[in-house]
Amino acid sequence: MDEMERELRQSLARRPAPSRLKRRVMEQRRQQQSQRTHQRLLLWQRMAATLVLACTLGGLLAWRHTQQQRKGEQLRQQVFTALRITNHALNQMNQQLTAHSRDDQE
Amino acid sequence: MALDWQPDFEQLVDEHQSMVFSLAWRMTGDRGLAEEIAQDVFLELDRNLAKIESPMHALHWLRRVAMSRSADAMRRLRVRGLDRWVEMDQEFGSPAEESGSPLGARVEQLLSTLPETQRAALVLRYQEDLTPEEIAATLSMPVATVKSHLQRGLKLLRAKASSHLKEYIRGV
Repeated sequence: MDEMERELRQSLARRPAPSRLKRRVMEQRRQQQSQRTHQRLLLWQRMAATLVLACTLGGLLAWRHTQQQRKGEQLRQQVFTALRITNHALNQMNQQLTAHSRDDQE
Repeated sequence: MALDWQPDFEQLVDEHQSMVFSLAWRMTGDRGLAEEIAQDVFLELDRNLAKIESPMHALHWLRRVAMSRSADAMRRLRVRGLDRWVEMDQEFGSPAEESGSPLGARVEQLLSTLPETQRAALVLRYQEDLTPEEIAATLSMPVATVKSHLQRGLKLLRAKASSHLKEYIRGV
């Protein structure tokens, strides 16, 4: 090792860090930790809200689907009843017409 | 032993703040910027604390990140058209100004005029007492490149010193 290298080694000794550096680092760390906790809490809140919303929406859709099915069934029954009544009326009319034409022939 | 080791952030800051700060200061030439870099490096360490396996790992990690953040800061300054080392004389608290001996201050000032990669290699070699292999691992460079930077840096420093320090010694 020559003179220059010895001088370099002496000149480049570590310098003490300013005392405020550690204080600032610890302060920033505390801030970041509380920020991270807050963000995590916010994330959980959002996830819970999304879950509740998804369940509500799913329930609503299922309820609507059931309602529509029930209404459809009711309408089907009504149509069948109307067809039965029409059929009955037509039968009666047919019988009357048959009876009337039989009378005419006699 | 390494398996039992639990990183204590405050203790790591206590142990390594002067190393991180000195590296950043010598690389950027700006005390304020060096403080900011050191702060960022330690906050990043806090975020990565779970990955740190041993005290030696912490030391290597801090050295590597301090050098990389310093290089990033200098790149940003260059993009903005500023060179802290050129402006150093007008600034307060450059490392050379606060050096222990006047000769040491001159040597440090000469070091500051070297190209960034040569300065980085020399600072790690003579401040941190690292071998070329360790410097290569810290700077993510081939060992041959590090050796070449060390040789060229020293040669350039000797050439500068032969003229500047003669003037200085004559002046004293």
